[in-house]
Amino acid sequence: MSMVPSAKSAGALYWPVQARRNIGVRSLFLVVLAFLVAYGVLFPGLFTASGFAKFTQSWFPLALVAMAQAILMLTGGISLAIGATVSLGAVIAATTMAGPLGVAGGVAIVVLAGLGIGAATGFIVVKLRLPAIVVTLAGSFIIGGAALLILPRPGGAIPAWLSDLLAGDTPAAFVLLVVIVLLWKLYLATPLGLSLYAAGENPVGAYRSGVPVDAARVAAYAISGLLSTGAGLFVAAQTGSGDPVIGTAFTLNSIAAAVLGGIGFLGGQGTMRGALAGSLLLSLMISVMFFLGFTPVAQYVAQGLIIIGAVAIPQFRKVQP
Amino acid sequence: MTAWNDSTGGIRASAILKSRPFLTLAIVAAVWIAASFVSRGFGAYGHLRYLVELGAVIGLVAAGQTFVVIAGGIDLSVAAIVTVSAISLPLLSWQADPTGLVSILAVLALTTIIGVVNGLGVALLRVHPMIMTLAMATFLQGLLIIIAGGSAVTAENPLVHWLGNARPAGVPAGIILWVAVSAIVLTVMHATPFGARIFAMGANPLAASLSGVPVTSTTLAVYGISGFTAGLAGVLVLGMNGQGYVGIGDPYLLASIAAVVLGGTSILGGLGTYAGTIPGAVLLVTITALITVVNASPGWRSILFGSLILGLLLLSGREQARR
Repeated sequence: MSMVPSAKSAGALYWPVQARRNIGVRSLFLVVLAFLVAYGVLFPGLFTASGFAKFTQSWFPLALVAMAQAILMLTGGISLAIGATVSLGAVIAATTMAGPLGVAGGVAIVVLAGLGIGAATGFIVVKLRLPAIVVTLAGSFIIGGAALLILPRPGGAIPAWLSDLLAGDTPAAFVLLVVIVLLWKLYLATPLGLSLYAAGENPVGAYRSGVPVDAARVAAYAISGLLSTGAGLFVAAQTGSGDPVIGTAFTLNSIAAAVLGGIGFLGGQGTMRGALAGSLLLSLMISVMFFLGFTPVAQYVAQGLIIIGAVAIPQFRKVQP
Repeated sequence: MTAWNDSTGGIRASAILKSRPFLTLAIVAAVWIAASFVSRGFGAYGHLRYLVELGAVIGLVAAGQTFVVIAGGIDLSVAAIVTVSAISLPLLSWQADPTGLVSILAVLALTTIIGVVNGLGVALLRVHPMIMTLAMATFLQGLLIIIAGGSAVTAENPLVHWLGNARPAGVPAGIILWVAVSAIVLTVMHATPFGARIFAMGANPLAASLSGVPVTSTTLAVYGISGFTAGLAGVLVLGMNGQGYVGIGDPYLLASIAAVVLGGTSILGGLGTYAGTIPGAVLLVTITALITVVNASPGWRSILFGSLILGLLLLSGREQARR
């Protein structure tokens, strides 16, 4: 981030910059690869079409919330309302899609809800200058309450064909993820996307250089909300119904995935590919624990330990050169 | 001479009027007065006393949280620690301990150790406080379900029962405990070298460390205090409730952070006082009580609670402008 490529040399600098960004996450990629190989050896089903589909489907919502959290952390924000927003997306999808609005209407409402909630949160945090942790913690109550109002107990329905398309034996989840990553690359090339890192790393300097800091941060919150409700839609399609508290675990997991992926809390540090790799690692660990017969409770304990270990060990190495 | 005295008196009065603790206190008073006009029973002495008694639990949790936040961190494991305390205390009671004091001390030692482990992760492993304490909360949650399962455990501890139910001279024991803890916390925070070090660390950790503040041991102490006060709150909540169960501490996470921020302590660290957290805690309980009066569905109650906290933040929780 220290170099600002001029228009002429931008093309020549693109790959070196990308390569330098990979340095920080190289060891993470190796760990993820090792886990993938181990997983493939333990459960050869991964390399069949349906095995691959199922695996990407279990990873997909976590990947989305990791991106949702990462984009906020890159701008120096954070959200503790991701889980509640995922739940809200799930109940909206489950109550609208089988109704008169149909799938298209349901998707539109989910998208609008995500963008709207995100933009409102961003406005409160950025324009009214309230601490993000507290706003999103309070927001999680409001959003979770709204989810409870829409669907007080698990229910609703998702059209069967949509569930089959998204969570059946098709690689739709993987294709969607690739599309989302490409869209992210495109977004980074827009003025708002370019401002993202600058706004996170040095807001005052960026502001004085004419970077639209506030707009970039509000936009980040809006995109984060969209990704979260999108994850909720997918979870609803997976389970075939809505549940007002289904997303709760995603709050911690999104932060854990982003931090595993090397995203810093102070803003401007880390890359989206790191966050995605972090979410893949977390998803692999959860799958492996499930297959090894850990009870959900033991998974809690193991997850807590693994997260601390994974975050602490690289830091520890840094301290003692 | 008199003029000089008058002017300093004037400055002091306006400083008090503008201070955040006073502002929060004024909001509490305004809400109480307005609510007692609207709802008949609200302003009764017994009801207000009950509110402050409930506020004591939040106030205790928020005491440790205030230390941690001023030192530049955050403790998201307080809810789990409250639950640990309220569940392990009934399990730890034994016959050779007629007053119950020994088991209380054992539990407080346990929760303090949990806090110190948080501090170790933050100070030595350099894990971000939010990750460290969230992971600790996840870990404890799993452990608690393994130990206690889904059932509630009843406390047979006389001292805990006294703490939750006794009213020496008409004042609930919980409030007396809170007053005592508040006095100690305020003294430690504003009148000891340790307190000064915490503020220095929260304002600028590097400068503090270069000026000779023992950052590691201070961090350990701060998180240890948070574990201790959360444990104390767990003991009190167990006494008031009679039973401990998994999830008993859950409401106190948001409450403790909100009380700290509503009281004017900066979430970024280095600035604040427990004197603001105290009315902040009472304010939160008052809000909850008002929502209960409204008699809404769980969804609406949750929305109201979140919105009111947001609204109050707008009144008193704003960070300084960037430029």
